[in-house]
Amino acid sequence: MTHEHAWTRLPDLLDDRDQPELLAHVAACHDCQRQLFLLGRVDRALRGAAAARRNERRRFRRGRWLRFPAGLAAAAVAVLLVMMFLPHTAATHAFTLRTAAGRPIGQAILNRSDTENTSLTLVARGLPAHRRDTYVLWAGATNGRPTTVGRFMVDPTGACRARFNLPGGHRWARFWVTPPGQPHAVVATT
Amino acid sequence: MTGVPASKRVMAPVPDDVIPQQLDRATADSASPAASDAELLRAIGEGSEPAFEELRHRYRRAIERACRQIVGGDLEDCAQEVFVRIWRKASLYDRDRGSAPAWLLTLARRTALNVRRRRELPLPDELADETGAVEPPDVDRFWVEAALERLPERERRVLELAYFHDLSQSAIAAELRVPLGSVKSWTRRGLHRLATILDEETA
Repeated sequence: MTHEHAWTRLPDLLDDRDQPELLAHVAACHDCQRQLFLLGRVDRALRGAAAARRNERRRFRRGRWLRFPAGLAAAAVAVLLVMMFLPHTAATHAFTLRTAAGRPIGQAILNRSDTENTSLTLVARGLPAHRRDTYVLWAGATNGRPTTVGRFMVDPTGACRARFNLPGGHRWARFWVTPPGQPHAVVATT
Repeated sequence: MTGVPASKRVMAPVPDDVIPQQLDRATADSASPAASDAELLRAIGEGSEPAFEELRHRYRRAIERACRQIVGGDLEDCAQEVFVRIWRKASLYDRDRGSAPAWLLTLARRTALNVRRRRELPLPDELADETGAVEPPDVDRFWVEAALERLPERERRVLELAYFHDLSQSAIAAELRVPLGSVKSWTRRGLHRLATILDEETA
């Protein structure tokens, strides 16, 4: 992979860390590492701005509903009905990742995307600084062998935010993190 | 500031050793979309109206949002007052003491708090400890809203749809009726461009 090609594709690493060729180039290229760090800051700023907008909209809606008690009551009834009659397939399930010492360092959050896929968001902070700053996330289902979910990169403070897709139709019971090539050296687990 | 027509404004004489081309370039550069926020503030401090217009274009939405958080509705007066204060105080901005977005956000918040006090509105609980001081994540959010305004339309649009409307790249392609490859390419270019702007602003 040429430097130009890798440079162009650097933003892809914000979502999908399972690109060994690209990661190998980044691990050896100071310019790409620096740009990826800046891209990470931009990504966090955009997510922060999006969250602020959502909160603002929520506050606005809340204020509006409070001015209309009848609407509020109707909404409460509607929510109750939905909760009673809808199947609970869209629920979110979060697992807390802890180090061997029991210190919580992040969460793996499962969200049903559709019947065939389950999306997984990994958010961690304070992972031990690793020489190449990449880790592997594993998943264990109740009825199967461990599966590699994907690789992800952490920033110099050990923080990361990555998204993955898992096959649907499994009951995922456990997640853990290891350095690449060392499947038994568990750094953190749920 | 805007009460006197530009044609009637009294201007300082131009020194003889400054050739017109140099003068044109200096005026254009300080107000160009490529100029950094700090460069714009410096030019505004020296009285450049084009630089002020460029800064207003970049930060209008971000400042209105900052005002809305504190003042609530009827924020136009507040945003207007913030820009008046920017015009008056830009020469006080010192790049060595912090980034331009942090200075602008602090100014916006303090102005909004003053407006709120003048209207004798009680501060809600979440703003009870508000002093106008800003935290780095707040500055990044404030900055990115303004930096988006500097992107080409299509790059800004795909990033807004992805981050603010939570659409997947396929959904954005369908929404904009363009090939998926174009969406991917505009997204990458837009993010790279924002990273470059961030690098310049924090250099």
